[in-house]
Amino acid sequence: MPAERVVSFLASGRLVAGLSLLSLLTMLALVSPWLPSDPGDFDLDHILEPPGRKHWLGTDTGGRDLAARIASGARVSLGVGLVSTLVSLCLAVPLGALAGYRRGWTDAAISRWLEAGICVPVLLLLLALLSVAPVWFSSVPEVWRLGVVLGIGSFVPAARFVRADVLRIAVTERVVSARAVGCAATRIVLVHILPSALGPVAVTAAFGIGTAVALEAALSFLGLGIQPPATSWGGLLGEAREVLDRAWWLALFPGLSLFALVLACNLIGEGLRERLDPRLRSWS
Amino acid sequence: MRRRDTWVLALLFGITACSAPGVPSQRPGSSVARVLMPSDPASLSLIGRPDRNSEIFAAQLTDSLVQYDSTLRWVPRVARSWEFSDDHHDLTFHLRDDVRWHDGVPVTADDVAFTVELAQKPILENRVYAPLLALVSGVEVVDRLTLRAHYPEPTPDALEAWRIPLIPRHRAGADADLLASEFARSPVGCGPFRFEHYRVGEEISLVANEDYWDGRPGLDRLVFRIFRDQRTSYQALRRGELDLVVLAPELWAEALRSAEAARWKSFVYSSLSVWWIGWNMDGSNPFFVDARVRMALAHALDRETFASRVLNGLARPAVTFYHPDSPWADPELKPRAYDRALAARLLDEAGWVDHDGDGTRDRAGKPFRFRMLVAVSSMQIVDLMLAWQQAAWSSLGVQVEIEKVDFQRFRELRAAHRFDAFQGTNTFTPSPDLYELLHSSQRDSGVNYIGLTDPEIDRLTQEGRDCFDPELRLEIYRALQRRIYETEAVSAQFHFSSPVIHDRHLAGIHPSPIDIYRTADGPRLWHWTAQEPFP
Amino acid sequence: MIGIRILRRLGGALVSLVTVTIIVFALIHLAPGDPISAGDDPESHRGLSAAARDELRALYRLDEPLHRRYIGWLGDIVRGDLGRSFQDHRAVSEKIAARARSTILLNALAILVMLGIGVPLGALAAQRQGSAWDHGTGVAAAALNALPVFWCALMLQIAFSVELRWLPLYGLRSGDAASRGLLWRGLDAAAHLVLPVTCLSYGAAAYVSRFVRASLLDSSAPEAWRAARARGLAPFTIWRRHGLTQAALPLLTLAGLLVPALFGGSVIVERVFAIDGLGLLFLEAASRRDVPVVMGLTLLAGCASVIGMLAADLAYGWIDPRVRRAR
Repeated sequence: MPAERVVSFLASGRLVAGLSLLSLLTMLALVSPWLPSDPGDFDLDHILEPPGRKHWLGTDTGGRDLAARIASGARVSLGVGLVSTLVSLCLAVPLGALAGYRRGWTDAAISRWLEAGICVPVLLLLLALLSVAPVWFSSVPEVWRLGVVLGIGSFVPAARFVRADVLRIAVTERVVSARAVGCAATRIVLVHILPSALGPVAVTAAFGIGTAVALEAALSFLGLGIQPPATSWGGLLGEAREVLDRAWWLALFPGLSLFALVLACNLIGEGLRERLDPRLRSWS
Repeated sequence: MRRRDTWVLALLFGITACSAPGVPSQRPGSSVARVLMPSDPASLSLIGRPDRNSEIFAAQLTDSLVQYDSTLRWVPRVARSWEFSDDHHDLTFHLRDDVRWHDGVPVTADDVAFTVELAQKPILENRVYAPLLALVSGVEVVDRLTLRAHYPEPTPDALEAWRIPLIPRHRAGADADLLASEFARSPVGCGPFRFEHYRVGEEISLVANEDYWDGRPGLDRLVFRIFRDQRTSYQALRRGELDLVVLAPELWAEALRSAEAARWKSFVYSSLSVWWIGWNMDGSNPFFVDARVRMALAHALDRETFASRVLNGLARPAVTFYHPDSPWADPELKPRAYDRALAARLLDEAGWVDHDGDGTRDRAGKPFRFRMLVAVSSMQIVDLMLAWQQAAWSSLGVQVEIEKVDFQRFRELRAAHRFDAFQGTNTFTPSPDLYELLHSSQRDSGVNYIGLTDPEIDRLTQEGRDCFDPELRLEIYRALQRRIYETEAVSAQFHFSSPVIHDRHLAGIHPSPIDIYRTADGPRLWHWTAQEPFP
Repeated sequence: MIGIRILRRLGGALVSLVTVTIIVFALIHLAPGDPISAGDDPESHRGLSAAARDELRALYRLDEPLHRRYIGWLGDIVRGDLGRSFQDHRAVSEKIAARARSTILLNALAILVMLGIGVPLGALAAQRQGSAWDHGTGVAAAALNALPVFWCALMLQIAFSVELRWLPLYGLRSGDAASRGLLWRGLDAAAHLVLPVTCLSYGAAAYVSRFVRASLLDSSAPEAWRAARARGLAPFTIWRRHGLTQAALPLLTLAGLLVPALFGGSVIVERVFAIDGLGLLFLEAASRRDVPVVMGLTLLAGCASVIGMLAADLAYGWIDPRVRRAR
């Protein structure tokens, strides 16, 4: 039946669509330094030009090519998203697994710290980390700096999800029986628990990239994130805001790019959730 | 009612709204001006912790002894006249006898003495007047309406301190901490408007003082509405919820093209501020000790084009710190012209040539690559300006990395002289004194961050401080400008202008290089030319 | 038994709270600049004399070592005193109370909308897993989730407030609301809330709908489902008995996490819609290094989130007997 085919396409299509969208944007980011127009080139004779043959997506208030700026912004957004997700997973998985499996005092101690961490306002954390950091940190490229800070700022929810998952898996019959036959704790965690938790972790990671990208954009929009003249999509939107009525393209295209990237991450997350979770698979 | 809107929710509920919420109505026969305030004032205490907004508020609520008018001339206010002693050590004020506080009590010299004493208390953190009043060693109340101030070291700018907003001893005297006092919640002054109410984050409402000594204000009510966001305030203007706003340049251009433009009038005023680049000349970098390099970088920028195309004409290329509208400015001096060839030649002469052909000039093996320190700013235009400078210099073979930091960090780094170059804005009083910024004695402890040591500039800044003859003083400061210009000691970039848009029926607004609020010709002279412009 | 467990959790929560306050206290003092020089502008002749500076330092206790200051602050808290703002010397409790109402109203409504829309949609999608409806809502949720709030807020403002003029642009009430009747005021407030609450909740609602769907599918073993169907139970009853209680577990964790977001998440919305709430207060206080206000807000946010998580944890044990036994 055609309707069924559409449905099954949608089911598998989500992951495919997300991945292809993501790879498209990644390609854009990778080739951006070799694109013909430079994002830093001013052309005061052609400011605020609408999209046309010379400038595909138009120009901004300084006559810079919007397409080139979006392409260079893609590097920033993707970079920040990846770095921050990596940082956040490196912190979240061990801590969450430890707390969820060991329980008792270990769990209590880690959970208190996580609870404390979640109450520290991300904004203050970012401000403080970015400004009090030792001198060598300010020579780290901005993308890495922001990525690490966002990762530290956002690992806590991920850790709590991992803990909840491990807590849930640890009481399944499989783990309980493994424990009963005297398996070592590390073996139980690595062989019996983490593989089952891998699905949720991958899903968390996919969503995490999207969240980090959106958070970076919001920070840059507020003027706290990536600082110009480096280009980020949030910063572009902040600039567009001032000339909204005269230059719709400045708000539309960076907004769409941001939307596309976060959407790609979310689609991948959704798709992964369907594929990776063994129970979901057996169910459907 | 200024606007009638349809309101979808009301319709949904079956109620036809004849007046939309969000649009306060003006009572018939009353004239109200609603003006933008970009954030809450730091305090309503009139003299405690003043920031721009609280100063604007204080200038409406109370008066000072003397004040600038909109052309920057001193005019008498609560003081009917004043005179200096022959040795310039004593300054005597004679107060008017018809000025009353809003509660009817007469204003006396004792209140002035009280204000001066209070403003210097550290707990009030009055950063504007406490430093000026610190030059006064004693204030003597000669009689009810006469006051004498003694200056151990005479200064030609002594009157600056006496723009301080006056507060009544009988209302504000009892509390140890004025900022936390009841007075700071409902302040009392002697100015053209009385305090009505303050809703945090929303509005401050003032009503006309019927008994004002200089005539009742033209408005019944002056309301400062608080919008933190430029675009939101612009939308409020479009909807007729604000009568006067100061806009960002981009929004101004947009506003003039909008469908509502016919409802508005607009004008531009230029404040005594300058956006400038400070080059670190203390020898910590090999670039900027050489005046030719500083000049070359100034000539490399096409400021005329940038100001007209990108800034919508809302900036003027600057020559030195002195604003072209200020009486101190030397009209002979013109901004350094855009001349790339000259810039390149100057750099060549200074020995900065691209020897290795990598696109970047170098000298003695060191590439011309420097760091520009900038503070994170809310001014959108700054980012564009930085990128534009970066591109212009880069095409000359000079690379600049932009180091953008938190404002607090910016100040720390600058005070420690840890920068190659920095840029930022300064706002000046009408006084021409630049001693603190430029005198070599201010390098380590003062604000001569750029490490300037120029005997000529030292001499002129010192002489200007000791000179009481206006003609001679003008000569000295014109000579100072020429010296700054010839050596490009600093690179003044732009004087920004503030575009104001207001309802075309609101009249009597006097722009000045201070602003439209803090002169003797402020909102008290505003009035509506038509009571109900939009039925 | 339960009493002891609650006491232990409470003790733990208290430790968390103290940890947060120490972290934030250290962070704000480590950041460059201090509250006294924050208002200086030496080049424009704005500043204080060295003597005044020292006196202020003493007044604000900035001359003491960090740990002494923290202990002093903690002592004041124990006595119920949040201190006074460095900025305007008003009591911190008063400053927070003045701004708390709008933030709480906004976020409470946003959470209601989020749960009210997210949970039923998610449950429906789970029930009809694999259907066009399921995939449709999935794509819609992913799209909504990806829509940046600040951009969306901007577009909604332009569309509904400026062009169509259906809804007010900013704030939570009209300037002349005080002089109107109760009904008018209520409608007025509702009209002001539509856009901010929409912006604050659409992303979370989308997220919750997918979250609920996943938890439901995750928790309901197919066997239980078939068995229940075989017993002829109506689908809704089955979901209620076997699904919703299970799904409630992760949802509770999520709800616990949402409480702190209540304070952080609305900064952008407050800024765009000019709503003077706690988010903006925090932003302001942090940039001015107004330590007492930042600490007061941190404590408040901390208390709220610790209580939220505590409640979630307790409910966890109550709903899932296995977790309870394991403790």
